[in-house]
Amino acid sequence: MTATQMTATQMTATTVLPQSQRDVAPPSARTLYQRGGRGDRFFDALTGTSGLLVLSIMGAVGVFLAVQATPALRKTGFSFLTTSEWQPDRGQFGIAAVLLGTVLIAAVAVAVALPISMGTALFITEVAPRWLRSTLVALIDLMAAVPSVVYGLWGLFLLQGNIIGISRWLNRWFGWLPFFSVEGADPTSPLSSASVYTASTFVAGIVVAMMVMPIQCVVMREVFSQVPPGEREGAYALGSTRWGMIRVVALPFGRGGIIGGAMLGLGRALGETIAVLLIISPRFDLSIHVLEAGGNSVSALIAGRYNESNGFGLSALMAAGLALFAVTLVVNFTASWFIARSRSGASSDA
Amino acid sequence: MKVRICGLACAATLLAAISSFAPPSAVRAETFQRISGSGSSWAANAIDAMRVNVKQFGITVDFNPNGSTAGRKDYLNGVVDFAASDIPFQFNPEDGSAPENPADGSYAYIPVTAGGTAFMYNLKINGKRVTNLRLSGENVAKIFTGAITMWNDPALQADNPGLTLPARAVVPVVRSDGSGSSAQFTSWMIKTHEPIWNDFCQRSGRAPACGYTSFYPTVQGMIAQQGDLGVTGYVSQNFAEGAIGYVNYSYALGAQFPVVKMLNAAGYYTEPTPEKVAVSLLKAQINTNANDPATYLTQNLDGVYADTDPRNYQLSSYSYLIVPTVVQGQFNLEKGKSLGAFAYYAMCEAQQQSASLGYSPMPVNLVQASFDQIKKIPGVVVENVNIAQCKNPTFSADGTNVLAQNAQAPKSCDKKGTTQCPDGTGGMANVPTAVNPAAQGDPTVTTVASGGGGATGTTVAGGATGTTVAGGSTGGVDPTATVPGGATDATLPSVDGGAQDQTCGDPSGCVAVSPDGAAPPQADVVAAPAVATLIADSSSTGTLGLQLLIVFLTLGMVLGPALAWRYFTGRAI
Amino acid sequence: MTTTSTLSSMSSLASLSDVMPEPTVRSRGAHHLTTLPSMPEPLLVPQQRRVIGKLSRHDLLMMGGAGLSAISTTMLLFGRLTPLSGTFGFVAVAFVLYIVIYAVIASVTESRPTVVDKVMNVLLTSSAVVALFALATVIIFTIARGWQALKQANFYTDDLSSTGPLDPLEQGGISHAIVGTLIITFLSLVFTVPLAVVCAVFLNESKSRAAQLVRTVVTAMTALPSILAGLFVFVVWILVLEFQRSGLAASIAVSIMMLPIIIRSADVVLRLVPGNLREASSALGAPRWRTVWHVVLPTARSGIMTSVILGVARGVGETAPVLLTAGYAAAMNVDALKNPMVNLPLAAFELVRSPQPTQIARGFGAAATLMLLVLVLFSLARILGGRQAGHLSKRQAKRRLVQSCRDLDRMERRITVRGGAAT
Repeated sequence: MTATQMTATQMTATTVLPQSQRDVAPPSARTLYQRGGRGDRFFDALTGTSGLLVLSIMGAVGVFLAVQATPALRKTGFSFLTTSEWQPDRGQFGIAAVLLGTVLIAAVAVAVALPISMGTALFITEVAPRWLRSTLVALIDLMAAVPSVVYGLWGLFLLQGNIIGISRWLNRWFGWLPFFSVEGADPTSPLSSASVYTASTFVAGIVVAMMVMPIQCVVMREVFSQVPPGEREGAYALGSTRWGMIRVVALPFGRGGIIGGAMLGLGRALGETIAVLLIISPRFDLSIHVLEAGGNSVSALIAGRYNESNGFGLSALMAAGLALFAVTLVVNFTASWFIARSRSGASSDA
Repeated sequence: MKVRICGLACAATLLAAISSFAPPSAVRAETFQRISGSGSSWAANAIDAMRVNVKQFGITVDFNPNGSTAGRKDYLNGVVDFAASDIPFQFNPEDGSAPENPADGSYAYIPVTAGGTAFMYNLKINGKRVTNLRLSGENVAKIFTGAITMWNDPALQADNPGLTLPARAVVPVVRSDGSGSSAQFTSWMIKTHEPIWNDFCQRSGRAPACGYTSFYPTVQGMIAQQGDLGVTGYVSQNFAEGAIGYVNYSYALGAQFPVVKMLNAAGYYTEPTPEKVAVSLLKAQINTNANDPATYLTQNLDGVYADTDPRNYQLSSYSYLIVPTVVQGQFNLEKGKSLGAFAYYAMCEAQQQSASLGYSPMPVNLVQASFDQIKKIPGVVVENVNIAQCKNPTFSADGTNVLAQNAQAPKSCDKKGTTQCPDGTGGMANVPTAVNPAAQGDPTVTTVASGGGGATGTTVAGGATGTTVAGGSTGGVDPTATVPGGATDATLPSVDGGAQDQTCGDPSGCVAVSPDGAAPPQADVVAAPAVATLIADSSSTGTLGLQLLIVFLTLGMVLGPALAWRYFTGRAI
Repeated sequence: MTTTSTLSSMSSLASLSDVMPEPTVRSRGAHHLTTLPSMPEPLLVPQQRRVIGKLSRHDLLMMGGAGLSAISTTMLLFGRLTPLSGTFGFVAVAFVLYIVIYAVIASVTESRPTVVDKVMNVLLTSSAVVALFALATVIIFTIARGWQALKQANFYTDDLSSTGPLDPLEQGGISHAIVGTLIITFLSLVFTVPLAVVCAVFLNESKSRAAQLVRTVVTAMTALPSILAGLFVFVVWILVLEFQRSGLAASIAVSIMMLPIIIRSADVVLRLVPGNLREASSALGAPRWRTVWHVVLPTARSGIMTSVILGVARGVGETAPVLLTAGYAAAMNVDALKNPMVNLPLAAFELVRSPQPTQIARGFGAAATLMLLVLVLFSLARILGGRQAGHLSKRQAKRRLVQSCRDLDRMERRITVRGGAAT
């Protein structure tokens, strides 16, 4: 056969697709609609209403706070964040001192609670024998459930008198740090007054630490219990000790949970009212001397002054509350972000 | 289903149990609606006693002692039915706070009790509590403005020739909330020692609004607490040595703590007992213009400050109930009936108890005027009270104030000078304090400290305790001093671990406070003081070095063998 | 050629030549000779199972010795040689010395990582001990300070309307606070629980973007300080709407505080219901509401109850919102709509501020009662909950089995009836 003959045969053997089939567009996905029955529609309406109700209640609280705080904020403008004194009737008020006090109390609380909670969480997950584990978990959860007024009473009656020794010791040996210095106290003289170490940020911070510790411990324990057994066993197989395994496997794995737990505890510490109200002697100046008598916090300010304030004073208090809420919100969201981002937290519900 | 029925039954029984807690119907035929009030903590002890006693008639009164300012604000907001306040509504406040504007003619003042603002203090000399401290008004003002900061300041020593005051810091404890006592105190300070107050006002940042104030300004070194209760609670703590605070006299009595004897214009040091307050308030000017309800029955205390009666106590004052005279807010006629009945009881029968609590009963003219005020309450059932039946200790046939008349003159050792009385004051009136022999003088009055053995009261040296040394003796001290006037409870529960350990009658309890304030270790109560005297002053570097050397040597002794073994067996790290 | 007697001793693997026969030497040619290498005798020592953290006698002796040594050294330093004093200082110095001595003793026989491990073990254990000790002191201190009041029967049956601050503990009690707590908590439950559970269902079942918004808002609101909830109710309910300070106002404040917490934990619990249960229900033709009502909610029931109880425990102990909205009352009040009402934390707060020892004892008694109440709630939560969604307890499984058998009977009867009717 010649080439041309073969081509002709081949040419007559081809098929031509009809026009329509060649040019039609590939099928696209169709949207599935589901129209539920009467029961489903009622169910949707009911749940939607409840969601709306919750949203409106929460939104009302937030919006209300913002609206009520506006007169005060409009009066002071930016100086609200820089003024220390609190005299709303004279128009001079600001949360500089109060917010600093709140942050200091929370910082002391987290600084005291974090090592203990981390140690306890590691103890529960790694060191404790199996039969002890559930009891310890129950006890730590119980500690989280104890009401804050009980801790406040404990702090006021038991801790305040007994912590004077520690405050004095810290002042004596670390008083060169501005944090630990105390004006008007001579820690080496036995006749110097002990009351300068009472009603201080330090005492309030320790009491708040008691409340914050179980929250942090619960989050960290959850995180540490999710360490992949393969990695853990692998470390042991390579001959590491228990602490070596913790340092190399558990802590890096749980880093997000540790930071997240610490910040959750910080958020709780920022909002604590009753313990601070019972212990602190209120002062309105910027001071980082945590061992010294006197301190303040936004929630204690609100609880102490709400009754004596007229309209404008209440507006000022709400502005302070709004600032506290904003700070707590930022801290909580950062905590959730850290926890969700970490390997461990992605599946936990903290 | 069974679970649901069970749950419903449980809920029903729970609700029934709760409602069974409701109080039984009143003994009397008439029922009273429940009323609530708030305000002064200065008058709270008296008002609380009235509230407790009036319950038997079926009247339930709730009283919240949240401070005079809060009480007035609650009243203005219509949240309570009556308010208790030490000062009237502030139309033109001079301390920069907002003016209070109640509706004209909608309220009336009823002076319900009188008393003294006392200065309760916590001070020990050589481990024994001081109970006879005296201060002049100027020194009080200086203490509470931070001008005097140590107890052994020469000015304070001049007031107390019989005591060797220790070199301890003064810790003034003031009110952190809006307080009528702060207002009275600052008002007195402005009227009698204005330059001291103005200087303080400048230093604390309050200037230029330097009028009398319900919100006491604070400076470094002051402690602020909420309510008279908070101040009393703080000053009475073990660690609060050197603290002094201003509270109503009844609180010092209740807490069993001494109060300061203050110098009056006649040159005598006095404390605000009910009799002395009654005498002092004879000089108070009460506004008698019944046509202006905004000022009717309010008080002007300038005369009290300047009074030259030797029995005067300058910080005496009246406290008021603010009652509505129109139906407004949550107040209605039913509540008016309850309030009226309560007020009648408060002005008549309740005054008998005032003295035992530490307040001073009302004089007859104010009681009469109050009855007229009570008639203005809407819904009140007017009672024609026979004033003679009230058994008020101030009443007499001819209208003079019996209590004031019979008030005792102060002892000559209470006169400003070189002598000092050893008698205790306030809640420790039965506990005298030894005075230095040079200041004993010759007391003429025979009132006796009745406590335990040894206290005779005629001569000071015999009655007071002998040596006052760490771990020292007790002498004539009665550790269970009872409250004068016979307050009801005889047996207080023993509170252990107590931050409230007030009396120092126990020989082993009066150990000097160790440098770090904590309890000494149990094993070494005897050894520690002995050793402490060996290395007395631990602040010098030489001793410090010695201590460190000792610590290292001891540690070396303990760890040495182990380290040596390691070295000699040649173990690698 | 002796083969190994039992297979179990193969684990010792003494020598391969014991197990496998000697290779036969073939005389094919030099290059076909294979000789297996002979393993050295014993190749692998019997492995000791490594136990992490078991304390040997040596460890216990070391710890005991270090402890004794630390305590005696501290006693020497504190009592005799230096003027240090104070129980807290004693404990702190003894602890530091214990760690130092233990480390040195351990380093005599162990390598450095082991010493570090031992020291860290001690530190971890002591942090747990510190935490539990703190909890123990709180509980014991509260009960001890309140014991004088707690042991009186009138403490639970009387209120303080006829008792002044100077009256002894045989009079008066906190029954008004107990009743107040129950009423306020009950009202908050009524407001919160239905709303929270339905909202959690909404968050889980709805695919709309509104659900995401609600979830974000709820998460944000868990950060609301409780005092602000109280302030909100104080200003709106009491000042603006001019209602009274009452138990109702307090319960509204507590509800606002509790709502986000319960929603969030209920949301988590519902999310944990396995998806295949939902899908199975849908596959059987159930509409969504039936799936939720018959499958999801019963499965998550124990978890939801736990989260409700924990939220209630939190609400019971809150003082700040009640402080602002409920006033203070010394007399019993069962009417939630008017007149002030106190609950246990508020009563404790107010009573301990008095300088009278009797009042302080009453305040501590109130706090101890509150703690007991929270403990009971908490134990209840652990008994009822604690089980994952979908897992049944033995009793529940048995009940399901009985129910299934009954259903089977019913269906068989129906089939026979129908079959009978058809014929």
